[in-house]
Parts: sequence; structure tokens; C-alpha cells
Amino acid sequence: MPCERKPMRYGHSEGHTEVCFDDTGKFIVTCGNDGDVRIWEGLDDDDPKFITVGEKAYSLALKKGKLVTASSNNTVQIHTFPDGEPDGILTRFTTNATHVAFNGSGSRVAAGSSDFMVKVVEVADSSQQKTLRGHAAPVLSVSFDPRDEFLASASCDGAVVVWNIEDQTQTVSWPLLQKTNDVSNAKSLCRLAFRPVAGKLLAVPVETKVHLYERGSWDHVATLSDDLLTQQINVVAWSPCGRFLAAGSVGGSLTVWDANSKLCVERQKHEKGFTVCSLAWHPSGSQIAYTDTEGCLGLLDGVGTSSTNSSTTKVPLASTLGPDKFRDDDDAGSTVAPEAAPLAPLHPVYEGPMPSAPQKAFQPGSTPAHLTHRFMMWNSVGIVRGYNDEQDNAVDVEFHDTAVHHAMHLTNSLGHTMADLSQEAVLLACPGTDELASKLQCLHFSSWDTNKEWMVDLPKGEDVKALCLGQGWAAVATSALMLRLFSIGGVQRQLFSLPGPVVCMSGHGEQLLVVYHRATAFDGEQALGVQLLQLSHRKKQLISGEPLPLSPRSYLSWLGFTAEGTPCYVDSDGVVRMLNRSLGNTWTPVCNTRETCKSKSDHYWVVGVHENPQQLRCIPCKGSGYPPTLPRPAVAILPFKLPLCQTATEKGQMEEHYWRSVLFHNHYGFLSSSGYEINEDAQNESQKEQQELLMKMFALSCKLDREFRCVELADLMTQNVVTLAIRYASRSRRMALAQRLSEIALEKANQIQEDEPEEPDYSSVCGSGKPTSSSGQPRVTNILDNMTSSRKSTPLSRSAGNLSKNPVLKPLAPSQSTLLQMTGAAAAARKTTQEDPEPSADQQKPADVPPPASPAENTENKRPKTGFQLWLEENRKNIIADNPDVDETDVIKEAMGRFRTLSAEERLENHSLYFRCRREDQTQTKTDIFSHRKREKFTNIMLQSLDESDRFNF
Amino acid sequence: MTSLSTPRCFWLVRFAARETAMDPSEVEFLAEKQLVKIIPNFSLDKIYLIGGDLGPFNPGLPVEVPVWLALNLKQRQKCRIIPPDWMDVEKLEEMRELERKEDAFTPVPSPHYMELTKLLLNHASDNIPKADEIRTLVKDIWDTRIAKLRLSADSFISQQEAHAQLDNLTLMEINTVREFLLDSLNCMYKLRSNLQPGSRKGQLTDY
Repeated sequence: MPCERKPMRYGHSEGHTEVCFDDTGKFIVTCGNDGDVRIWEGLDDDDPKFITVGEKAYSLALKKGKLVTASSNNTVQIHTFPDGEPDGILTRFTTNATHVAFNGSGSRVAAGSSDFMVKVVEVADSSQQKTLRGHAAPVLSVSFDPRDEFLASASCDGAVVVWNIEDQTQTVSWPLLQKTNDVSNAKSLCRLAFRPVAGKLLAVPVETKVHLYERGSWDHVATLSDDLLTQQINVVAWSPCGRFLAAGSVGGSLTVWDANSKLCVERQKHEKGFTVCSLAWHPSGSQIAYTDTEGCLGLLDGVGTSSTNSSTTKVPLASTLGPDKFRDDDDAGSTVAPEAAPLAPLHPVYEGPMPSAPQKAFQPGSTPAHLTHRFMMWNSVGIVRGYNDEQDNAVDVEFHDTAVHHAMHLTNSLGHTMADLSQEAVLLACPGTDELASKLQCLHFSSWDTNKEWMVDLPKGEDVKALCLGQGWAAVATSALMLRLFSIGGVQRQLFSLPGPVVCMSGHGEQLLVVYHRATAFDGEQALGVQLLQLSHRKKQLISGEPLPLSPRSYLSWLGFTAEGTPCYVDSDGVVRMLNRSLGNTWTPVCNTRETCKSKSDHYWVVGVHENPQQLRCIPCKGSGYPPTLPRPAVAILPFKLPLCQTATEKGQMEEHYWRSVLFHNHYGFLSSSGYEINEDAQNESQKEQQELLMKMFALSCKLDREFRCVELADLMTQNVVTLAIRYASRSRRMALAQRLSEIALEKANQIQEDEPEEPDYSSVCGSGKPTSSSGQPRVTNILDNMTSSRKSTPLSRSAGNLSKNPVLKPLAPSQSTLLQMTGAAAAARKTTQEDPEPSADQQKPADVPPPASPAENTENKRPKTGFQLWLEENRKNIIADNPDVDETDVIKEAMGRFRTLSAEERLENHSLYFRCRREDQTQTKTDIFSHRKREKFTNIMLQSLDESDRFNF
Repeated sequence: MTSLSTPRCFWLVRFAARETAMDPSEVEFLAEKQLVKIIPNFSLDKIYLIGGDLGPFNPGLPVEVPVWLALNLKQRQKCRIIPPDWMDVEKLEEMRELERKEDAFTPVPSPHYMELTKLLLNHASDNIPKADEIRTLVKDIWDTRIAKLRLSADSFISQQEAHAQLDNLTLMEINTVREFLLDSLNCMYKLRSNLQPGSRKGQLTDY
């Protein structure tokens, strides 16, 4: 049984529901206890149109654009379909009708009622009624004979009666059912059905079986049953071709029989076992829609195809039975056309991918325009609600923060349908009509003059499709594929053409984000393009018409900026994506709201995104895609989660956390580069967090013996954290790793050196502001000391030997070369800051950077070098004092000369001094780390400022 | 409601000064420490109080604060109060049915349900859907429980029991009977010991 059972979805509030297809099979129409008739464009339609027909709707029937419903005000009324305009009352009863049914041609309606009567009414002229009296209890169901002669009805008195309509007499009556006093107490709804084509059979569900009676003789000719069917059958329905009979039972079983062979061809079970109370076949016979007493709607797909597979006689049967009376009466072609194609492929049909309908323009943060009470805008500033009912057509504006402005109530005489709200203004727009042009209205409440409002008419024939507000400007996209910019005070500014029909827009500060249709898309996809413009003094296009990535078969459902100004959007699959400015303006998925939903029809309606703290503000909507205006919905907060692999493991978790942190702190770079003030504390905090995470990951990889991975992680670290990592590696006796890390540290140090001189102001600040920064120097070498000392049992004697054996100059070479590189720039820096009271401090900074590097060059020989450096630190001032006019290079040359002249004992003493320093240093690790953080902070400031400065000057 | 207009320090002083049973307003004072969600319409950073940090307050974003602050903000029209989960007609109806069915006391949704209902409904009824129904339902639950309490006190005394178990009683409920019950037990003890032969009158005055 390859028939596919689609998941159920919420349709109505719990209680009796009914379902049918429209004549073309395009829509599924349901009614339920909430008094609404919903028109679904397929099962996945999250926003069905609805028609309110009363407090409760008991039954519905649809044919030829007439929707007949039995509602709680005891009437049977007609609405036009699909517009939903009331089209008069067909008939009335003394109590509510229980079931309504069309005849085959759609000219008559039969209605059974709880007042024991059945009425047959002409649709065209409701005064022509025939009343069938005789039942002794509420009528359960009615069904027309395809030839319009007879009518079958079932009643709570237990009788199934066939009436002659013309004579209004009972032709035959069978006592088949259990007697009850009311429909609500009946065990089964007993929805009987005449076979639609010439089959001459009446199917009556009796207990767990279906009895088939022959038309005319009214003999019981056959019984359809299934061993697996253990509960009462509630409803039966014939397939449009008349070959198959579907039945739905109290326990939720769905069974399809082949009426010719009397064999069961399909068995399905309701996913929750709720009672199936209505069944409808798609006009093509390939789908069955059903509803249950809990108000849910389900669909069985591929019923027709599965039966063609099981029986090859299906195709001729369908084609021979096709031009029958039943089909002829309808506006033939349209009903049979594309859906029936797989059954009878007589004429060639295009079978390639079908173009999907382009999604309509919308305002992000608004609920559908057809609602009488709706949100026109819900954003981080406030809420704009629109009311459009009989008494009132109004717009309510409410601010989250009452300090911005007090709430406003406006009468909406122009019929505005679009709105946006900012700290400065409310922007409203209405589409044009035949007489009136499309209008744009702006309530500029923050204006300091007395005119708080302006209005602009668009050129004739041009309609506003989307609008948005930024800081000091407003943008409107129109049906003429034009984007018009206005100043917030109403001055017209630039305008430009859009590459395609607009979908939606969003503004934030000076940024404007526009999404439009790039091309025709196929198979339910949307081909959207996105433009991001900067409207500041230096106007530029940051993203120029690149495709906007969406989840498969989804559409855009929200577009906006985070509070920090990063573009962001949500698609109908609930995936939130954010612009990653540090990765070439790509889009990164940061959250899937559907993962947190309990049921398939629940949604989260996004109202705002914040990067710091990381918050996705949204409204949980149970059983719908958007919230109602009443009761007032409350905002919930969802966390972000990058969809990285294996986030259940510790490694995956930390990776996810790290990359999320990196992504969500991109905005600092953007904000500072566009001249905003940024919260440096928060930025440093975030960097600290990232480095801590890296260190944790590093430790984890160390534990797992993944040394290569360790090095990769170290690549992401800042120089200071790398030194920590080196210490960690050496403590855990990973010498090879420590060596590689120190190479990385060297590279990073060189990078910093290359960057530093570009900002002389900063480096001088660093130097003078951190006179103790040299404390980092012995610490770095210290780590490698640890490493070697753990290996060699007599470090002092060995190193002393080294000291005397090795020439001092050799290990210094690399560090000296970097120093030499440096000095030119440092000298240049000094020229600009001639008045600097302490130039030596200026140089001290570069001088202490290389140490992590030099030990890496030659671990064996590092000791004499550090000895020299210590000595240099101590004696630098003397040297400078002696030779006040020399530059850095000469200072070092001079120092080396002097050091060489020292006796071996002096050097050794110097070395033991160094060791003393080291021990102290070990106890002071903590303060060290702290001072390193401080240094890191300054490094960051430097790096930021580098972004702005022109690198080519160097 | 007195406590809203009286400074909280005043109550603290009162607590310290008194030794006898609490009066209802004091129980209400305790109830005001319960947390409730509000949606502020102003923006404010975290505030650091002795009892703990509150906030930050973001306009339009729910935040948990103690009831006393919620009511204060509400009176100044600075927030909307989100009623607690249990303050819902259906849930309360269920609870009432259960309370009526069971002989013992059933667990209540909040240790201060009565006080919270009274406070929130008196000051923020516009933020609570079906406020009147909720008021009736909570009153029903309260009446049922108090009736049970009286009945059990009655049987406790008439059967001359030595001790009784009082699970799931809230502070307010205990408080309504404590003074009277203890006094009357004392009184009865005096009377009984008077009746017993061999007892001397002088001892009784000690009680």
C-alpha cells in the first residue's frame, strides 16, 4: 500500500468538522466547531482564507462556486466561493441542520435537521422546497441519488430511509442502526452515499461493515468488510470514478475498498486514533482529505496511483466512466484536467518543473492583511495594530518604551495596509484605487515644529508595495519597480530602479536592505535577490543583488536588522540567517525556530534579534503562523545555535559556542568602522570569552592526543593566549607541540610588530602606559625552561655549560633582525613624537615582543640569550645615558659589545639572577595573565584603529 | 492595601517588634516577595538591591520581578503584568474540583495563592483575562479549604487528639486559625485540669 499519509495539522477547534474539495481540486475546504469555513490551498497552507458562517458550523457542501453550510443559527446558508460573500439563506429549521448535501448537478441541496425533517431546496429558487417528514428522531445524514429521483437519509431513530423526492414519500426503510435521541449521542454519524456514476449502489455504513443496496430493487447485494476494522464506521465516500469506496471509522481507521472486487485495497490508521468524522475525495481520485473530531485535517496522497498499480483495469475504467452524467454536469474539462492526467494520460502534458508562484510583497512583522484585527507592524520600537471591522477602521500605535512617545489612535479613513515604526516617525501607506492614488502618510512625531505629519501621493498607477523607516529617512518600493527615498521631514531624495518586484524592505540607522524577486523560480522555490545600501554621507552598495539563500521550498517570512545593525532574515522553515560580514558578506544560519516547536503547526513569529545579549525575540504561536491581537501575545526569547555537527559532544559544543561568539561579535568591527561608538568593555569581554573557549578546546585536544588540532587551534588564538597554550603543552610534557606553538607565537609576534608602527600614537601610549610590560618577557622563556628542566635533571649545570660553550651572538640573531626591522619604524615614530618624555619606554615595548620567538628558533641556546636580555634590560638605561644620540640599533650593538666583555662569572651571576626571576615569576602566574589581558586589550585597540588607517603608508 | 503605601522598612520594624501571631497584612507582605513576570514599558539597566539583582528592563520584553515592584510599577503605569500560569480559569476549575473531591488538603499552585490573587486582581485586573471568574474560583477554593480546616479542627478537639498533620496548608490559612485554635486549646486545658481531682488552682495561672 504505497499511499502516503501526510501528517495531520490543526484545522479547527475540537469538535465535529467536515471537509470537502472544491470542483477543481485546488482547495480543501473545511468547517468546524469554531464557526469558520477555512479554504486551504493544499495541506501546507499556513494561512488559509476563512469565512465565518456562524458560531458553529455543522456541515458544509460545495459545488459550482456555492458554499452551503449548516450553522448554529438553525439556517442553511449560501456563500459564494472562493470570495466568501453571503449569498442568502437557503432554508431554516426549528433547530440546527445536521447534514447538507448537493445533488450531482449542483441544482439542489438536501438538508437533514435535528427537528426530524429533511428538506430538498432548489439552489436557484429557495422558495421551491420539498419537505420529507417521517423520521422519528434527528436526521444523521442525507445523500442524493445521482439521477435525482431518490434521496437516502439516516436518522437517530435507527432507520435508513430512501425517499422518492417528487412524491415526498418513503420508498423503502431499513431499521439498521442503533436508536439514540440525539446526533451527539449517536455511535456513528452514518454518512451514507450513493455511488456517483451509473453503479446504482447505495452504501450505508452499518456497525463495522458497509452494506451495499441496489438502486431500484433496494436489495442488499453485498457487504464490504475488513477484519482489521473493529469499530463503528462513521462515514463513507465514493471515489469520483465510482470504483472505490473509502470509509472512516470511530477509532481512526481509514479503509478503501474496490467495489467491484469487494477487496480492501488500502488501510490507514489515523496517527492519533481520533474519530474520523468526514472524508472527501479529490476530484482526480488521487487524494483523500479527512478530518477528525479534534479538529485536525489530514490527507492521504497517492490513493489513485496506488490503485492503478494494484489493478491494471483502472485506466480504461476511468476513461469509460469519465464522460458520465456526473462529470457532464460539471464544467467538465477543468475538473478532469491536470489532476486526472496520471490516471488517463491521453494528451501530452508538460511534466517538467512547474514555476512556483512568486511570494507577495509583505511588511516584516505584520500579520496577513485580510484579517479584521491585525498587527501592521511589531518591531523593537513598538506595535502598530490595524482594526477593520464594521464599527471602526482604525490604527493603534503603541510604543514598547513609553518614553519614546505616548500611544496613538488614528482613524484609518484612507485604508492604510502597510506600516512601519521608528523612534522618530510612523509611516503608513495604502494601495491606490480607481479614483485615488496610492498614498504615503508619515506621522513625524519627533519633529520639533508644529507640523507633525506629511503626506505624499504616488504617481497614477504606481502602488506602494513595501516601505521602511531608517534614521532620518524613509524608503518606499512601488509596483513600478522603483525605490523612492524620502527624508523623514518629507523631502524627496534619490530614487532608483529595483531589479525585480519587491518582496520586503527593512531599514536600520543608515542601512537599507531590500529583497526582491530575482527570477522565476520552480518547484515551490523562491528566487530572491538582496541589496544592502549604506545611505550615509559616503553612500555605497554593500551587497549588490546577490541571491538570498532560503531553505528548500520555503519563502521569506521576516527581514530585518539585529539591534546592533546586522542584516538578518527568517524563512518559512523557521531558519534564522544572519549576515557574516567577516566572511565576505555570506549568510550564516544561526537558529532554527522549528526545532523548539512542539507540533508541526506551531510557529515562532520573530519580532526582533539582538546580538548582545544573544536573544531571538519571538512570539510563540500555537497552531498558527502568526499571533492574534487578542489575547495580547507575550514575547519569548529563544537562544541561538549554529547548526554545527555533533553539538552533543563537548567538542562540538565548544566549537559551536566559539563560532557563535565570533559571529555575534562581528558587529563591533562594523560599528567602529562606520563611526559608531562601541562598548569596549563588552567587546573585550567577548574576546576574553572566545580566547577562553579556544584554550578549553586546546586542552581538550591535548587530552585526546590531537596535537595537530592543537596547533590549528593555536592559530586562532592571540599571541598572549598562545603563550598560555605553550605553558599548558609543556606542563603536559608535549615538547613537539610546545615547539610548534612557539613558532606560531613568533609569527604572531612578528605580525603585531608589523602592525604596531603604523600607529605611533597608540604604541607610545602602550609603552608609557605599561612600564611593567617587560614582565612578560621572562615568563615566556620560562615555559620553555620548564620544559627542558623536566627533561634534564641538572638544568643549572647543563645550562651553565651551554652558556660558556655557545657564543652569545648566535641565538640572538633572529631577535636582533626583528629588532633591526623595528628600529627604523621606531625611529620614524620618535621623529613624530619628539616631545615624548620617555622615548625608551617607546622602545621597550617592541624589545620585549620577540622573546617568545627567539627560544623557538633554538631551544637549546635560549638561555644565554635570555641572560643577555636580562642584562640588556638592566643596562639599557646606562647605555642610553652614555650614548644619548644613538638609535635603537646602535644601542643593541653597543650592549652586545659590553656583554661580551663581561667575565664568565658575571654572566653566570646574571644567569642565576634570571633563575631567581623565573621562580618569582612562577608564583605570580596569575598577575601575569592579568597583565597580559591588559596588553591584549591594547593590542585590540591598535588592531581596530588599523582598520581605519591607511595601510599603504607603511 | 496598606503595604504598598507604607515603606517596606516600616514592616520590617514591625516584624521585629512583634512576637504574637502575624496579621494578614504581614502575610501579604511576605507574599509580595514572590516573583511575577512583567512587561515593562521603560528601559533600565540592572538594579542591585539587597535582596538580589533585578532587571535589566527592556521595553516590551518580559522580566521577572517581585510582586511589590510589579505592583508599584503597575500603579505608575510603567508595566503590564503577566499573570502566573496557574491564574487561569481552566486550571483553577480543575483545582477546585479536586479540592472538593479530596478529604485532605490538595497542593496549591503557589504558597501565597490567595494573597497573590488578591493583590494582582485588585491592582492589575486589566492585565488578567477573566479576572472576575478567577476571583470567584480562588474564593471558592479558599472557602473549601477553610471549611476543611475548621472541620478538622473540630474533630481534632472533639476526639481529643494529641497531634494532627497539616500538609499543603499555606501560611495565610494557618494564620487564620492559629491564634483562635491555640487560645481555645489553652483555655480548654485550663478547664480540664480544673476538673481533675487533686490539682491546685495556683498552678493554672502560670499558663
